Amino acid sequence: MNSPILLQPDETFILNVGPQHPATHGVLRVKMEMHGEYIVNAETVIGYIHRMHEKMGELKTYPQFLMNLSRMDYLGALGYSHGHVLLVEKASGIVVPERAEYIRAIMVELNRIASHLFWFGAFVMDLGGFSPLMYALQDREHILDMLEAVTGSRLTYCYFRFGGLCNDVDDDFITAARLFIPRMRKSMKKYHNLVTGNIIFRKRLEGIAPLSKEMCRKYGASSAVARGSGINFDVRKNEPYSVYPEFDFDVPVYHECDSLARYMVRMDEIEQSLRIVEQGLDKLPGGPIMPDKKPKLIKPPVGDYYQAVETARGSFGIRLVSDGGKNPYRLKLRSPTYSNMHLFDEACRGMMIMDALAFMGSLDLVIPEIDR
Amino acid sequence: MICKKIKLAFQSLFPEPVPVPVPAEAESVGEDQDKKAKSPTPPRTDGVVEREYSIHGYHLDAQLAPAQLITAVTLLDEAEFFIESITGVDWIKDNQLEVVYDFSRYDFDLCRVVLRTRVDRKSPEVPTITTIYPGANWHERETHDFFGIKFAGHPHLIPLLLPEDADFHPLLKDFKA
Amino acid sequence: MGTQNIPSSVVQFALADKLINIGRANSFWPLTFGIACCAIEMMATGCARFDMSRFGAEVFRPSARQSDVMIVAGTITKKMMPGIKTLYDQMPEPKWVMALGNCAISGGPFAFEGQYSIILGADVFLPVDVYIPGCPPRPEALLQGIIELEHLVSDWKRWKNPEAS
Repeated sequence: MNSPILLQPDETFILNVGPQHPATHGVLRVKMEMHGEYIVNAETVIGYIHRMHEKMGELKTYPQFLMNLSRMDYLGALGYSHGHVLLVEKASGIVVPERAEYIRAIMVELNRIASHLFWFGAFVMDLGGFSPLMYALQDREHILDMLEAVTGSRLTYCYFRFGGLCNDVDDDFITAARLFIPRMRKSMKKYHNLVTGNIIFRKRLEGIAPLSKEMCRKYGASSAVARGSGINFDVRKNEPYSVYPEFDFDVPVYHECDSLARYMVRMDEIEQSLRIVEQGLDKLPGGPIMPDKKPKLIKPPVGDYYQAVETARGSFGIRLVSDGGKNPYRLKLRSPTYSNMHLFDEACRGMMIMDALAFMGSLDLVIPEIDR
Repeated sequence: MICKKIKLAFQSLFPEPVPVPVPAEAESVGEDQDKKAKSPTPPRTDGVVEREYSIHGYHLDAQLAPAQLITAVTLLDEAEFFIESITGVDWIKDNQLEVVYDFSRYDFDLCRVVLRTRVDRKSPEVPTITTIYPGANWHERETHDFFGIKFAGHPHLIPLLLPEDADFHPLLKDFKA
Repeated sequence: MGTQNIPSSVVQFALADKLINIGRANSFWPLTFGIACCAIEMMATGCARFDMSRFGAEVFRPSARQSDVMIVAGTITKKMMPGIKTLYDQMPEPKWVMALGNCAISGGPFAFEGQYSIILGADVFLPVDVYIPGCPPRPEALLQGIIELEHLVSDWKRWKNPEAS
């Protein structure tokens, strides 16, 4: 539970981590009350990159808001856009052609792999190892090349439209993706050899920051934070949407609850995403990428709608309250990192500060997503 | 099915089952909206309603009085729901602020529950649920930031996303920057 | 600042100044100060494919007291502004500022009517030397920005300007 930090004479001192700090992955500030190396109490201060996405949701029309979703979580941007377009299509009754849904799923999974690669590089860098960052970002560049050829952007995509996509994939993309899959599998072996078996890495993560199932439930944690604690929860399986029921993939769940379990969950997720991309490319149907009948002006009927999708960081939810006009009446973005980060204050009591920073890395934080 | 159980448990909170007038949803998109939506829909009374999941994205929708919140949330906690989010909606025409709670489940027995309460716009106060779900702490602080809703009993209700000395509530419909 | 007020001394060391400026230009030490999305492109520029260390700028220092370029990469909010000003004041002279991305130049896509939270560009409170537009700018654009800053700092050009010849 959050409580204000009060200065204790003689015994403890307050250490201010951030907002500019190499390990906080963005502008995050943590006020830690320290007793030597041990954290007695921590208070997270956020809001340093509050960019008013929900306010813009009310002032912009539905198509104008498409670009905002990528700026929220820029590493896994396509997953967020997917949630938004699915919500508006559901509310408005727009039917998406099958080819568009398959391409969306393939793109989202490639983006998920890119996001996990970046997380992997940054996480190991936090622990002190600089080389995996170089290798991981090099692999990520291959994915970005493929995505850039189709969507036009490297990082902040605005590729999905209501009803489908703005650009179709061509044979170059399919060939490149097929060549990428075995290459990525080889790279994963390399990463496991380089990092996962490393004794220093294991000692720094084994047993660190155990999170119980009950704690995850009370805070609403999702993605690797929940799956590393034994909770089998993945929105793609629990609450299927789009074409995910057509794919055969597993959800990695580890029961050790520590930082190493969260790390292993994400590494295994990369392999599962590769499987989905493979199956998607095999099953890709022909046809159009936009529906024939689409309303000129998007005005969902009056009501309350919700859509949840599984992004690289967890269960992302959008709630739309529509009054029938061309702007949403209220657009709420439920960001997974917000709920994951909230655990930190309670979980890091009694930890050493270096373990707390390793724990922060294993949560996979992207701060603009917390602050929206 | 957990949904049926929760619905029955909620129905016991309300004195007698009142048929809830669901606002008529226009079937076409776009053109005729302006002509149809002019007749005001009757205000919704407290009660629990089942919603069509494939359109709305959730299963149960319960409107409560603020005093019934703690009981309802305790019911959900005992049934192993997790807190998804808390937010507010500013209904300036009705002069009310609405607090919306989203709950969901981790297992495959899917049931999304939405709780709503409405409070007066001039002095909005709602009891906190941080004693049951500690994860509600930040969600309530954010709702307070954006709408000015006070959560009675919250341990640390200071601005979360806005600067520490902010005294404005940006998502209110009559907010001027 | 691009130019400093160097008080004139009895003995002038023009050639030494020139050499020192070439040294400064070829080894910028940026501050690790990624705020938002543009920070990712900054990190990608530092990595294997785009390789900022070709131009001497790969030594990112987390401490402001050891760096000489502040690359403001991301949106500046009113809550964050005092922190950035403190960091800028902590940097020793000579120091330069690069505004990376549309948000740091003028607020970017978040400057709308009724906005309550962001500062419309880094040059509201910092003296910016180089502006790099884009949302986010490509890593090559950041490299171009570093080369422009090099030209600002010293007269020595890395290669001839193709239009001039």
